[in-house]
Amino acid sequence: MSRSYDFNRDQEGIYQNQMTRTKTVMKKILLRSGMLLLVLAPGTVFMSGVSSIASSGGVMERIHHADKPYDSMKMDKAYHQQVKTVRAKESWQGGMFRVLARKDAITRFRCSVCHTDKVVRVKDAQIFTHGDIEINHGKGENGLECIQCHDEENRDFLSDSSGKLIDFDHSYQLCGQCHFRQKRDWIGGAHGKRDAYWAGERVIRNCTSCHNPHSPAFKTKMPETYSLPLDK
Amino acid sequence: MDTSKKEGQMKPDDLPEEKSTRRTFIKKLSIAAAAGSAGLVTGGCVGGDNTTEKLGLKWEEYFKKNYRMMTDKEKKETVTRLEKLAKLEDDLNIQMSTQEPREKVLFGYAFNISRCKGYMDCVEACVKENNLDRNSKTQYIRVFEMDSGQQDPTRGDGKYHHEVPVENKYYMGIQCFHCENAPCIKACPTKATWREPDGIVVVDYDWCIGCRYCMAACPYWGRRFNWGEPEVPKDEINTKQHYLGNRKRMKGVMEKCTFCVQRTRQGKLPACAEACPTGSRVFGNLLDPDSEIRYVLKHKKVFRFKEELGTDPKFWYFMD
Repeated sequence: MSRSYDFNRDQEGIYQNQMTRTKTVMKKILLRSGMLLLVLAPGTVFMSGVSSIASSGGVMERIHHADKPYDSMKMDKAYHQQVKTVRAKESWQGGMFRVLARKDAITRFRCSVCHTDKVVRVKDAQIFTHGDIEINHGKGENGLECIQCHDEENRDFLSDSSGKLIDFDHSYQLCGQCHFRQKRDWIGGAHGKRDAYWAGERVIRNCTSCHNPHSPAFKTKMPETYSLPLDK
Repeated sequence: MDTSKKEGQMKPDDLPEEKSTRRTFIKKLSIAAAAGSAGLVTGGCVGGDNTTEKLGLKWEEYFKKNYRMMTDKEKKETVTRLEKLAKLEDDLNIQMSTQEPREKVLFGYAFNISRCKGYMDCVEACVKENNLDRNSKTQYIRVFEMDSGQQDPTRGDGKYHHEVPVENKYYMGIQCFHCENAPCIKACPTKATWREPDGIVVVDYDWCIGCRYCMAACPYWGRRFNWGEPEVPKDEINTKQHYLGNRKRMKGVMEKCTFCVQRTRQGKLPACAEACPTGSRVFGNLLDPDSEIRYVLKHKKVFRFKEELGTDPKFWYFMD
C-alpha cells in the first residue's frame, strides 16, 4: 500500500513540474490577453453596459416571474361598502366580482307601477311617455327602439334578443350582446373602471354607471381645467 | 429631548460650516430661541404666542435625517412634529402617514389612448389631492391633444382649452412614469430622491437642495419645481397626507407625482384614476397576475413612451 503510494507521489511530482511549466505559459498568454483587453477596454465596458441593461430585464422580467395571485383582502383598509353593489353574474380570473347597483338610480323604478292597463291622460303624456328621453343609440337604420332593450311584457326587466329577462342591475348581460368586445375587456379590466379601490374585493362600475343607455356616447364639453405652456 | 444637549447644540462654535444663508438662519434661530427660553424662565409664554414651541420644533426638524436613514421612532417623531407645526402655524389638523410599502406590491399604470376624451378631470383631482401650488398652477399631469398618427407629445397641444373631444384627435396624458431605471434618481447629488420597493419614485423634500438636475435628467417632463412658496387655500388643503407624498412643500424643492402614495398604500386608487370619467386610467399591482393592469399588459396592444431610452417606465399606453 505504502509503496504504491510513494510511486503515486513521484508521479504527482512529475505532473506538478509539468503543471508549473504549463502555468507559466498560461500566465504569459493571460498577460498578453490582458494587454489586449486593456486596449479594447472602452469597447468592452460599453458592450457590458448594454448587455447589463438587456440581461437585467427590469420590470418586464419581474412581471413575468410574478405568477402568484396577491391577496389584497389582507390589507387593513379593505373595501368599505359605501355604495350599493351586486354580485356580477360573470366570473373573473376564476373568481367573482361585484358591480355597482343600478336600480336605486332609476328614479321611477318599479316601472310596473305606471305601466298598467290604465288609460293615460293627454296632459300627462309628456311624463308618461318618457318624452324627455332622447334615444341616440345605434347609427342610422340600426337606431334602437325602446322595446329592443326593455321587455315589452314585463316592464321591470330588460330582455335580450332571445327574450330572456335581464335585471337592470345586470345590464352588462344585455349590452354584451352587441358590445361583446367591450364586455370582454370590461370583465378583464381594460374597459370601465374599479370603484375607488385597487385592493380588496373587486367592485367595478356597471355599463350604465358611465354610459347613458339611451345615448351612450360621451358628450363633448369644456375640459375641467387647462395647463400653462411647458416652457414658461 | 435633553435640554442641556439642546443648549449645547445652540452654541455658535458647534455649528457646522455651511452656506451663508443657512448660517444666518441658524444664527437668527438660536438668538430667537435664546430669547424664547429667557421668556420661559421669566414666566412662560404669553397667551396665544407659541413662538418658543414653534422654534423648538423647527430646530429639531432642521437637524433630522434623510427619510431612508430614519428609524421607525424617528419617523414617528418627525411626523408628530410636522403635525404640531401645521397646527401652530396654519391651524390645520393634518394626519400624516409614514405607511411603508406593502410586500409583493409593485405599482403600475396603464392609460387608454383610445378612450381618453381630454376632459382633464384627472388633472383637477390631482391638484386638489396633492396640495399643488395654485399660484404657479403646478400640475403633475399634462394631457396633450394629438393628431392621429403622432406619438410624440412634443408635437401635440398641451395647452388646449376648447370643447373636447375634437374629431380626429386623441388625448395622451403624461405624468411621472416611475421608471425602474430612473435617470432622475441617478442625477440627484444629495440622494433626496429614490425608488421605493413598491416602485414609487419619491422625493424627501427636506433633503432636496433644489438643483433641478433631476428635472433636466427626466426625459418625460415628470418633475416640478417650486419657484416660490406653494400656496393652497386653507379650506382646500387635503389633510390626509404622507411624508413622501402630498405634505407641505417649501420654496426651492422638487416635487412630482407619487402615484398618490397617501392613497395607494391604503388600497385606494390614485386620485387621477378615481376621477377619470372615461375609464382610461388603469392602476394596480403588477405582481398580481389577476390584476386589471396585468390583463391590459397581456391582452392589449401596449407601448411605453420612449422605451428605447432604457428607463423602464411602469406606465403603459394601450388602445382598444
